[in-house]
Amino acid sequence: MENGADSGSLTRRQLLRMIGVTAGNAAMYQAMSSLGFAAESPYRGPIDLQGAPRDASVLILGAGMAGMTAAYELRNAGYRVQLLEYNGRAGGRNWSLRGGDTYTELGGLTQHCQFDQDLYINPGPWRIPYHHRGMLNYCKRLGVPLEAFVQINYNAYLHSTRAFGGKPQRYREIKADYQGQVAELLAKATRQHALDASVSREDQEKLLASLREWGALDRNYAYVAGDASSDRRGYKKKPGGGLSARPIPSEPMGLRDVLDSKLWQAIPIGDSYDWQTALFQPVGGMGRIGEAFGRELGPLIRYRARVTDIHQDAQGVSVQYEDLQSPGSKLTARSDWCLCTIPLSVLAQIPMNVGPGMAAAIAAVPYGAAVKVGLQFKRRFWEEDDHIYGGISYTDLPITNIGYPSSGYHSGGKGVLLGAYIYGVDAMEFTAMTPDERVQKAVDYGSQIHPQYRGEFDNGVAVAWHRSPFAMGCYGMWNSDTRARHYDDLCQIDQRIALAGEHASYLAGWQEGAVTSALDAVERLHVRAVAQAGKA
Amino acid sequence: MRALFNRSMLRRLVTALCAAGIAAVAGAEDSSFAVVATLSNVSGEDIYSRICQGCHMSHGEGAVGAGHYPKLASDPTLASWRYVALTVLHGRNNMPAFSAPSQLAWDGPTLHLSDAQVADVVNYVRSHFGNNYQQRLTAEDVAKLPHPAAGAAP
Repeated sequence: MENGADSGSLTRRQLLRMIGVTAGNAAMYQAMSSLGFAAESPYRGPIDLQGAPRDASVLILGAGMAGMTAAYELRNAGYRVQLLEYNGRAGGRNWSLRGGDTYTELGGLTQHCQFDQDLYINPGPWRIPYHHRGMLNYCKRLGVPLEAFVQINYNAYLHSTRAFGGKPQRYREIKADYQGQVAELLAKATRQHALDASVSREDQEKLLASLREWGALDRNYAYVAGDASSDRRGYKKKPGGGLSARPIPSEPMGLRDVLDSKLWQAIPIGDSYDWQTALFQPVGGMGRIGEAFGRELGPLIRYRARVTDIHQDAQGVSVQYEDLQSPGSKLTARSDWCLCTIPLSVLAQIPMNVGPGMAAAIAAVPYGAAVKVGLQFKRRFWEEDDHIYGGISYTDLPITNIGYPSSGYHSGGKGVLLGAYIYGVDAMEFTAMTPDERVQKAVDYGSQIHPQYRGEFDNGVAVAWHRSPFAMGCYGMWNSDTRARHYDDLCQIDQRIALAGEHASYLAGWQEGAVTSALDAVERLHVRAVAQAGKA
Repeated sequence: MRALFNRSMLRRLVTALCAAGIAAVAGAEDSSFAVVATLSNVSGEDIYSRICQGCHMSHGEGAVGAGHYPKLASDPTLASWRYVALTVLHGRNNMPAFSAPSQLAWDGPTLHLSDAQVADVVNYVRSHFGNNYQQRLTAEDVAKLPHPAAGAAP
């Protein structure tokens, strides 16, 4: 890491800056790795729960993706199912904030979302990779229409405050020039016989041919201004029709400029398994899935129920809860079995008589501090001025991302951007601000990439997940050590209680983790229930 | 395992870009947004107002939702400075450890406070929000407490 300080003496800010690099690096890495350090979804298709014991009952705590997946399957298999949900809506972190919605965070500050009709942000999950087959399958079965989520947009920006004078660069140009320059270098080394020891003469010919293709090199294996490179990075004057149509190639950047900028770091994002094309989003917002599940399960869900105690005995499980509409009320639900999907951030504080292994696991997982900010603008300037249709611009500013809507292209009127998706230390700092301050910060930072922000900003909302009354954090932050010590204990059924949710998966932070953990837990509960009934 | 390794390397690269920026901005033009880290002259108050307050709230009043964030105001459990310092060092439930070693930081916590900073923020909390404990912790006091150990390498 460089500190970027040119003078000999460090100011306090510069010192903060240097240290921030280290601390932030770790934090960022942690956040991103827990979001994506992911195995293949184990989803194997709809599960088969034949032979459910007559009248067997399952109480499910939490009506998020995990709880509702379990409820749906268990109900269909013939179990008597009841769900308790803290919120007044179904979905949990599967959630869209739309115009007219209000959201009160911990600390009591209430935001009134003033987006125009049909505009929204997803404070939680916002994309579904093509290989998250469980999520896709439930969308299909519930009739939730999907549309493409644009992840990589070649015309979106890569931005570093320390490169190109802070001027955002097009992803297309950085990728083409990085690739082209590396290909030229490797071709040069090959032709100067630097690779003779490791690549046969015959393979060198093949390698050169592939480098020319991959890097858009000319016939001399050079990456230079011309049709080949402009076909990747774009032309200075684009080819068109008619008399003035003749294109003018653009001038590639030198290797050093590209390397120094460090913008190449963003190139592989779309190659990552979690973010490979194709990705999807529900039409109208991610929250449509939770809403559809909620409709499907209807009266099985009791809303505004705050769980205060979970107690199992030889015959079943009793759960005490408060009806939030009657503060102080003490109600009890009773069932044969319990599937608890309450986030560990909350569950760790609820008395529950499980064994020491599960109890220790529940207490071992801190929760990520992620923040998302939605910004409404008076017009879709990113399309009109910048020609960016969906996708994401990445920046080294604390806002990290600017996400452009993958729907409603060219629609007149206002538009909503994801103005920030923040994790790690920055997210903690944003959490400590008021919602208004978070929105203002997102506007300030974003205007360094899109100067139109200043004139076009209309209103915004900001969700800091540690302030979420229902989740108290964004997702469980496992590390290799806690995984090794606690994960299996968390997932084992403890007599009559099983846990599920993204926290009980290797797909941390992904909805697919919630779905597959719920199916896995439900199958094991079913086996137990059948066995128990056989004994009775 | 090889694929896994490559994936994690990729994350580091992607991440480094983001991280570079925290820095750049904090220095460039935005003095109100600085990352609090292992810097001895960042006060306990700074650490509290920029980090801790996210959950424990601006007057240490905590909050209640589906679960709760502990109230620090007029809190008798703060009588034990060891309890408070150990909580900051190791975390508790969904609160992360704020003093995990950097080896672990690659896949664990999000912010590393020095012993001096831990002492500062503990002193701040124990002398504000209706708390009036006189004893001042030093970095040496904190150094004597058990610290999070490095776990298995990721």
